[in-house]
Parts: sequence; C-alpha cells; structure tokens
Amino acid sequence: MSDLVSKRTAGAAAALTVVWIVVGLLAPDSWPGVLLSIAASPNTHTATLRLAVPIALAAIGGIFAEKSGVINIGIEGLLIVSGFSSIVATYWLGSGSTTLGLSNHWWGLVVGVLISVLFALLFAVVCIEFKADQIIAGLAVWLIALGLAPFVSRIVFGSPNATTMGTFKPVTVPVLSEIPILGYLLFDTPPQVYLMLFGAVAGWYLLFRTSFGRWVVASGENPKALDTAGVDVRKVRYAAVLLSGVFAGLGGAGFALGQLGTFAGGGQTDIAGRGFIAIATYLLANYHPIGALLGSFLFAGLNSMQNGLQAAGYAIPTELIRTIPYATVIVVLVFVGRTRLPEAAGEDYESGED
Amino acid sequence: MRDRLAEVLDRLVGASALERVLISVAALFAAVLVGGVLVFVSGGFATCRTGLDLAGWTFCYNPMQVYYELFLGALGHPLEGGWQLTNFGLATTLQRTTLLIFAGLSVAVAFRAGLLNIGTQGQLVVGGLATAVTVVYAAAIVPGGFIGTVVLIPLGVFAGAVVGGFYGAIPGVLKAYGDANEVITTIMLNFVATGVTATILSWQFQDPNSNNPQTRPVPEYAEIPNLPLIGFSGRMDFSLLALAFAVALMIGIAWLFARTSFGYELRTSGLQPEAAAYGGVDERRMTVASMTLSGALGGIGGAFWVLMVHGRWLENVPSLGFDGIAVSVLAGNSPVGVGAAAFLFGVLQSGSRSIGTGTDVPPELVGILSGLIILFVAMPEFFRMLGLRFRPAGTSQPARADGGEGGDVDE
Amino acid sequence: MSDSGAGTTDGTGPKTGVDAGTADRKSTGSDLAVHLDGITKRFPGVVANDDVDLRVERGTVHALLGENGAGKTTLMNVLYGLYEPEEGRVVVDGEDRSFGSPRDAIDAGIGMIHQHFMLVDPMTVAENIALGNEPTKWFGMAVDRERIDREIRDLCDRYGFDVDPDATIEDVSVGVQQRVEILKALFRGAEVLILDEPTAVLTPQEVEGLYEVLEELTDQGKTIIFITHKLEEATHAADAITVLRDGKSVGTVDPGGTSRKELAERMVGREVLLEAESEPAEAGDVVLSADDVTVRDARDIEVVSEIDLDVRAGEILGIAGVDGNGQAELVEAITGLETPDEGTITYDGTDITEWSRRQRIEQGMAYIPEDRHERGLVMPFDLVENGVLGSQRSPRFATSGRIDWPGVRDHTEEIIETYDVRPPDADADAQSLSGGNQQKFIVGREFERDPSLVVATHPTRGVDIGSTEFIHERLLDLRREGVAILLVSSNLEEVQALSDRLAVIYEGEFIDVTTPEDVTEEELGLLMAGQRPDQRDAAGSVGGDDR
Repeated sequence: MSDLVSKRTAGAAAALTVVWIVVGLLAPDSWPGVLLSIAASPNTHTATLRLAVPIALAAIGGIFAEKSGVINIGIEGLLIVSGFSSIVATYWLGSGSTTLGLSNHWWGLVVGVLISVLFALLFAVVCIEFKADQIIAGLAVWLIALGLAPFVSRIVFGSPNATTMGTFKPVTVPVLSEIPILGYLLFDTPPQVYLMLFGAVAGWYLLFRTSFGRWVVASGENPKALDTAGVDVRKVRYAAVLLSGVFAGLGGAGFALGQLGTFAGGGQTDIAGRGFIAIATYLLANYHPIGALLGSFLFAGLNSMQNGLQAAGYAIPTELIRTIPYATVIVVLVFVGRTRLPEAAGEDYESGED
Repeated sequence: MRDRLAEVLDRLVGASALERVLISVAALFAAVLVGGVLVFVSGGFATCRTGLDLAGWTFCYNPMQVYYELFLGALGHPLEGGWQLTNFGLATTLQRTTLLIFAGLSVAVAFRAGLLNIGTQGQLVVGGLATAVTVVYAAAIVPGGFIGTVVLIPLGVFAGAVVGGFYGAIPGVLKAYGDANEVITTIMLNFVATGVTATILSWQFQDPNSNNPQTRPVPEYAEIPNLPLIGFSGRMDFSLLALAFAVALMIGIAWLFARTSFGYELRTSGLQPEAAAYGGVDERRMTVASMTLSGALGGIGGAFWVLMVHGRWLENVPSLGFDGIAVSVLAGNSPVGVGAAAFLFGVLQSGSRSIGTGTDVPPELVGILSGLIILFVAMPEFFRMLGLRFRPAGTSQPARADGGEGGDVDE
Repeated sequence: MSDSGAGTTDGTGPKTGVDAGTADRKSTGSDLAVHLDGITKRFPGVVANDDVDLRVERGTVHALLGENGAGKTTLMNVLYGLYEPEEGRVVVDGEDRSFGSPRDAIDAGIGMIHQHFMLVDPMTVAENIALGNEPTKWFGMAVDRERIDREIRDLCDRYGFDVDPDATIEDVSVGVQQRVEILKALFRGAEVLILDEPTAVLTPQEVEGLYEVLEELTDQGKTIIFITHKLEEATHAADAITVLRDGKSVGTVDPGGTSRKELAERMVGREVLLEAESEPAEAGDVVLSADDVTVRDARDIEVVSEIDLDVRAGEILGIAGVDGNGQAELVEAITGLETPDEGTITYDGTDITEWSRRQRIEQGMAYIPEDRHERGLVMPFDLVENGVLGSQRSPRFATSGRIDWPGVRDHTEEIIETYDVRPPDADADAQSLSGGNQQKFIVGREFERDPSLVVATHPTRGVDIGSTEFIHERLLDLRREGVAILLVSSNLEEVQALSDRLAVIYEGEFIDVTTPEDVTEEELGLLMAGQRPDQRDAAGSVGGDDR
C-alpha cells in the first residue's frame, strides 16, 4: 500500500514538473517561467552543489552511525563545531598564508575535522560506555555546540560572529572542465565539492563492499549475531560513530571554509538546521550514501532557488521563502515515514546478555 | 566507616526517586566543574591586562569569580551591602523561572507520553504572537481599567494556548497518521514558526512607530499586574501573580498525571505503548492529545513572555523552548521537579547578565552549561559506576527471593 | 543464596546420581571431542550449572536432555565462551581450554546454532555465513565475494545442502535459515556443532530433514551436541543422552538401552501427568463468533484466511498450532488490537468488528496476552497501577475522569490474595516479580473483570508447574460458571487437556476442528504440520505413544 502511495506521489510530482516546464517555456515572464529560468541557470547549479556539501557529508556520516545502531542526532552539533573551529584555526594560523607548505585553509579543514571527531568520540563514550539515551545525548551535543560557537567566537573575535576569512579557490581540471554542463559542475568547482563527491563514493564502497560495512549493518540489525560471530560490537559502533564525526567534520569545515568564509555563531548559527535536514535526507535515501548525495541536491536546490528568487527581486517575503526547505523536510518525512530503522537502533548492547 | 558508606550508597541505589534527584544534583555539579575548566582554559586564549600567569601563558578568567557572579548575581548579590529582597537580579531570576516552568512543563508532558517534543520553542513563538495580536485588537472593543485586565489577560493566555496547542498538534498528527519522526518535524517546525511569524508580522501587525520587527504594545492594563506592597516594582518585568499561576499549573499537571484516567493513559503510553494499546488506549489519539497539551503549555509560555516581559511580541524570541528541554530533562520529566529545575535555570539565565557586566567571560557560557547538564543527566550509568567504585569489592548483588526471572531462564 | 540451587530442587529422586557405568561404556579415552569436567556456573541467586560433567565422543550425536530451566543452554554457553564458569575444566580435543569469548571457541573449532537464530535478516545468505570471517582481497580493501560463494557451494555439495547464497534471510524459510546457521559454523571450520533446541521452530518434515543432515555431518566426522527437552527427539537422533535436572547432571545413557519412562523420570524427577478434567461441557449460547475473518500483514500477505469460529458460553475452544501460523493475528483481531481486513466478529449478538479495544473490554472481554512483558504489564508500574490497566476508564474505578486509587488498591490486594501472587506486596514493581507470579497477577486481573469471554493465549508459557496447575483450574472454574473461553496454545498437552473442542490452525486456516477425545497427540502433531485430516491415514505413525 505504501508502495502505491509513493508511486502515485512520484507520478504526480513528475506530471507537475512537466506542466511547469511546458508553461515556463511558453510564457517566460510568468511565475513558472521565472522559476524555470532560475532553475536552469548555471549559478543555481553551482550554488546547489556547494550548498549540498554540509547536508550530503553529514548525511553520509549519519548513515554509518545509525546503521551501526547509534542514532546520532547530534550531527547538527558536529557541523557547528567543525564549521567554527575550522574558521578559528585558519584565523589563528593566518588566512591567506601557508604553514609547512600547506595553505592555512587546509589546516583549518584538518582542525575542523579533528574537533568534530573529538565531539563524536565524546558522544560515543557517553552512548556506548555509559548507555545514555542516544536522542537526549545527541540533543546535548547540539546544545553544547550552540553555546560553544558564540562563546569561542566572542573570545577570539570579540563578537558572536567570526571575521571574514576568504574561501577556497575553485580547482579547475584542465580539459575536463571544457565538457559542456558537466565541466563547470564537476571539474571547475571548489575542493569541498570534490570532497563531497569522493566522500559519497567512498561511503558507498565502505558500506557495501568491505567487511567493516557488513559489520556495521549487522551491528545495527542484530548485534548479538555479530557478537556470536566473534566481532566486538562495541568497537564497530565506536568506529561508526567516529566515522560520522569525520564526515560531518568535512561537511561543516568544508562549508565554512569553502562557501561562507566566516561563521556566524549567534542564534541557530550559520548551520541553521542543516544537520537535521541531513537526517531527513538519509531517511529519504533509505541509508544509501549515493542516495543521500542526490537527496541533498533536493534540499540544496530549494535553497539556491530561493536565493535566486530573492536575487530576481520578487516581492515575496524572504522569511517565508526561507522556510521552504524546512517545510519540504516535513513533507518528505511524512512520505518516507515508513523507512525501516535498523532493528537495534537506539538500544545499547551488552555482550553476554541472554 | 567504609561499610556505613556502602550501606548508604546501597540504599540510595535502591530508591529510584531519590536516585534521580541525586543524579540530577550530581549532573549539575559535573557540568559546573567541566564548565569551570572550560572557562579557565579559554581564559588562556583571551587577551587581558591582568590574569594568572602560568609558565608564560596568561589565563584571563577566574572560574570562581564567574560562578560567584553567576549564582549570586542572579539573586542580586546577597553577600554584598545594600541588598534588598525585591532586587532586579532576583526579579529576572523569578521571571525566567516562571517562563521556564511553562516551557519545562510543555516538554515534560510530551516526554512522559514518550514523545520528544523539541518544538516547544516554535509553539511558544506562534502562541506569543497570537496573544499579542489578540490582545491588541481586543483592547479596541473591551473597556479599559480593571475590566480590561480581567478580560484581556485570560483572553490573551487562552489565545496563546489555543494557537500553541494547534501548532503542537501538527507534529502529533504527522506522527500518528504519517509516522513522521517527531524529533525532526518539531525541529523543522521551529524554523517554520520563525519564518511564518516574521512574515505575518511584516504583512499586518508591524508596529508602525518602530523600525524593530515587533507588534504594537498591548495596553498597560493588559500586562500581568504586580501585587501591591509585597510585589516587585513594575519596571522589573516580573509579577508574583504570574509565578503563582505557573506553580498552580505545575501542580495541576502533577495531579493530572497521578490522579486522572487521562494521565494514567499518557504515562502508560510513554512507558510501554504496547501495554497501553492492550489496556484500551488509542495510541494515535493519545499522540495527538499529548502533543496538543504540550503545545498549549508552550503557547501559554509565549503568552506570559508577551504579557509579563515586553508587553508586545518581538521577532527576536529568546530560546526559552530549548531551555525547557534542559529543564525537563534535569527534572526527570516530573512536573514538581520542573519547578526546581526551572528555578535553577532561571538563576543561570539571570546570572548570565551579571557575567556579562561583572566579568569578561562571554555570557554564552550558560548555553554550554545547559547542554552539559543534559549530557550528564542522560548518562546515569556514569554516576552509578562512580558510586560503585566507592563500594568495597565483593558486595554481592541483591538476589531475588524466588530465584531470578522465574521460568524465563532457559527461554 | 548460596549453593542450594534454584527453585524446586529436592535431590531425593531415586535415580539421582546414577552416573558412572553407562557413561564410560564406549569411552576409549582420547576419542573425546569435548569433555566438560565439573562445570559450575552461578548467576545472582541461581546456580545454573552445579558440578556438571559431559563427555562427548567424536563423530557422534550427543543429546543434552532436560526441562526448561535445567541449565542446558547455560552449559553450552560456557562451552561456547559466552560465559566463564566459576569452577570446572573445558577440554576440547584433549586440551584444556579457557574461552574468554565466542571468538576463542570458534577458533577451537566449536560452532553454535542458537535457538533464536543469530542471523541478520536484511542481509543475504552468503553475507550471513561469512559475517565476521569475511575473506578479503586487494589487501583487505574489499570482501572477496567470489571466494565466499565458491566456499559455500563446496560446503553445500559436500553435505548435500540446497541453499541459494544470494537469497535474503528474511525471504527464506525457517528450515533454510537453520541450514544457513549450520553452514555458518562449518564455514568457520567447526568440528563440534552445538544445536540449541533445533526442532522447536521446525515442522515434522523439516525435523526429518534435520536428522538426515545430522547423520551426514557425523558420517563425515563432525561431532554434534543436541540440546532438547523432547524425549522422542533425543532417543530418535542421538547416540548418547546426558540428562540435566535443576542444573545437575543425572547421568548419561544409551538411547537403545533405556526406556522412555525411565528417561522421563530422570528428567522430571517425579511422575507428572496432566489429568484432564473431563466433565462434559454444558455449552450455552454462542458468545463470540468470527465469520470469514481475514487479516493481512504489512506486506499485504494473508496471515489469517477466512476463519470461522464460534465459542459458546461454558465452553473452551482450543486453538492449537505451531507459532506463527496466524493465531496471534487472529487473537488481535478478536481483542481489538487490530482490525481485520475482511469478515465480521460478533460478540453477544452484536457486530463488534469496528469496535475499539476499550469498548470490547467494557463489554466484558478479558484477554490474557501472549507477551506479559510487553503487553500484559507495565513493568515499571507497581501492582496497584497495573491492577487498573484496562479498567482505567470503567465506572468501577473512575468517576468523571478521576481514578479511585484507594478502590484500585483494595481490588489489587484482593487479586494478590486470591491468586496467590508472591511477594504479596501491592507496592512492588511488576518487573520485580518472577514470571509465574506476573502471569498469576495478569490472570487474576483479567478473571476478576467478571468477564463473559476470556481470550487466553499461551497462558502458562514460561510458568512453573504449580502456577500452571493453578491457572488451569481457574480456567475450568470459569468454564463451569458459564464463561466462554478461547484458548490459544502451542502446548499440545494443555490444549488437549482443557479444550472441549479443538481447532488446528495452519498457515492462517483451520485445517481441522475436532474434539480432544477424537484425536491422538500424533495426529494433532501432523495436523499442526499442515497434514489435512484426509491424508492422515496414509501418513502412518511416528514413534511410540505416551498416552
């Protein structure tokens, strides 16, 4: 029955898209026409790719944690700490110069990932060692990050918001970047986009082709089966949660250094719920890393379209438009509500229980 | 001596209610400790003229001073001269306590029903706007003075509760009938609430006399009145009446849980949904009902924020709803515990102002502390292990009189 | 609590301790694959194994026979490295071993097939077989799936298995899953295979298949330890039988040279026969009836197909069947936990198909659920709060939405007294009670509703013998009082002894409705395995008869 619903939904969505494109082409000045021209513009595409970075990488990290049985709802917090710590590190080392022959932006990325992994380790210890409620502990990680970002920013920059640091330069691959469309999308783009694309493939490979990937799945579905097969469930879960820290760290730091060039720590920070959108993304993708990458394009695309609309000067309230990606998450969740969580997700596992 | 201690610890571990209180207190201390270390270390990265010099490294911040400002500043520095009971610091503390009781109750009701409502913030935002708009418009047709107070305040609170309740019902319905995870939907609805209220404000209700995004003020007689003689002065934005109402609501919720069929069903659903279904509880209806009640409590929080603190709705709503999560978690989701936890967080929030004025430490420290408290409360096992280390080795675990789990040993 | 053992032990049975002679009969010293010497394993408050000896010869099937709770599984978990014994030696292939984890046991050539299979449902057969032991290629960068497939095919050829390595576990039958578990152990190079209650989930045909597999394995030199509580299986499949009772070994015997009666007495320690209370039913009007009830599961597969049934006042209708044949879903449709996809349910002449669970409770339907931990009791609640579960809105205990707690407490204390719930403390948490006492409390609460219909599912599962007899008597009392009773159980003796009429459910259908007098236990077994009544004569009989 749910299959039927999703088929019908997909059909309706496809039909709407066709109507939109036809109307848009026939009447370029109409609403659909403007939307179509925004959707078709290269700026929107490149922006989509860049905005997808934190969502896609956080989602891939979240897949590993949740597949292993640890629901990491603190991923939003990991994005925040990696984002601002990468900016702070770059600032301290000196933006624009190099250390040990490596650009300080890259050192900032390394620091951001390390800090994110540190927080993931803390979360893992709390959940695995001390059997904390994973959801509550995840919320705690998020709230700590929400306090820590402006706290540190105030000490370092004297304001909750960091000073502007400049971003990664796009890396252009000769020859390949000349390919139409694919060229400017995939071969003339900043490094964090390459990281995202590589991360999605690596995540897929790790999960589906290596024995570690099999252990992660078994640990989330039936930890006892894994335990009796002689694999230490705790180690697998530690590794999976730390991995989620690595991916989220790349996402947060890559977003801050490659897209923002600064980090606002006030309110919901510059991350603004992207970690939670990442969770919705991997649920939508049914825990498939490549699917999560594509799903992140949906949310990032909505985001960049919204920016495009604002730039086009349409007199629609920007605040309302800004809610579109969030509202979309809700709609998506209702339709994918039946995504089956791993059997043992959220439960701690103790060897030797009978 | 060690035996006595072990005995005491044993008894404490046995008593679960007492254990919860102990864990909460221990979590508080642990958070303060970690926060202190954080303050001290971060002082090493700040710049200042005078500080503690250690091995050529200057540490600017003194954690003791920070906590002195935090805890005593919140009470108006009672150890310093010229202290009065009705001081500004204490008024701010109690004002926050009042608001946090509503927010904490909102979260606790949902948690007890097994639902993680992270959306109290959004429910409070929309509820508050509904209150401000309702009162501003109703003031035009209701006579002023005492009658206005008696009519407008209940009306405003009612409007906040209804709209907040409706906004809370949305994730409830999505969960019950669409199986959408309420943690994610409520967080998303917080963002949606911010956007939608801002839009509604600029569309219709913006105060024409201000550049700030805010509504027009409610008439003065529609603000929560102060008690004469024993009350705090009007400029302190706190009313004992409001606190009394919050405490009454708290007792009401405790009564609801303990004594009513609805409360019984709600608690059963939260602990063991399968058993609730077996006992004749309609799971979906319970999900929607408890989320609605939770949202209504959040909306009431918004109403009091409008009617007691600012007299109008501002776009920049403080994060009371998120702090409500910390309050409820620290209170073990018990309504009476919410009162105590709300006071503690009231102290933290009020004290953050004194930190801002009395020290160079960023007041955002308080946000970190709340997060740490939640983290520590979430891991009771940590404190149990700590407690066990103080017990002499070889203390056997208590055995059951009839030999364990009955017939389930070999199943 | 110290060494006095668990529960009911008295140790005065005449056969206790008759060990030596038979056990050493065939022993030729070095030919022991496994030797457990004086194993003692304690849990808080329980001695699960008390100085147990076990000698298993290479290339044989060795049965470990005993009742539930006798300590069989614990002993094998010691051998498999899941538990460390307090005392005793584990000797494998003549070497003293101490296993800290299953990994060590696996490395020593021991494989275990648990009663609840240790399989990951969404993964494939091949992935499950290799789990934790995946051969890799490219310097460990990838799993060598070709090699796994090849090795599985080799194993299948060698032992005559027919298993598709690419099938997903959740799509294959229970019998195949068991084979996957065996393959998993063989893949790891197991020489000794422990099978924990391997027949519990199998149909008789699958059981025959399993026996053949065991024979093939022992022919090729593997050693099998077979845990069971069924006499017939032990005598049928094993070369030697060790009997455990209350955590102690009561001797090892040769199945050929020992009568079943003797074995039964060793196992139980006394003669236990369930006497049927066969006064004729005086059935009255139809209380409950189901017409063409069909229930589909989440994947839209029919789990209950067009079932018709009638239960009359003063009658017990028993439903027998192997677990998972639709009885749980049928009961949920009747009790209102689920709405049937088709058909109607009538109660006291009223169509209640669309009624909520609460309406059904109010109408007088009592329900003893299958799972007392999940459904029947709220574990963190005390007994007072559990005493009102289901009646929290009934006028008896609640007025205008408020619960009358003093009244509930009185009622709870009455249940505790009448149904002999121990400890007799209304303030005790449900989770602190033993399984038998939990069940007695649920039974008391449901029976004291003054019901006109009782739906009882597995009312005595996991319950000690004393409580079982008590619950049976109460059921018969209610029947005498004119209550209609629907009894669902997979325990043959129970349904046969109590039922006035007996329906056998198989794959969501009643394949026969009969009376206990008209059917033998063997015939019942065949029915439960899906053999229709008209095929019964051709099937012949399996083994002897206890009746």
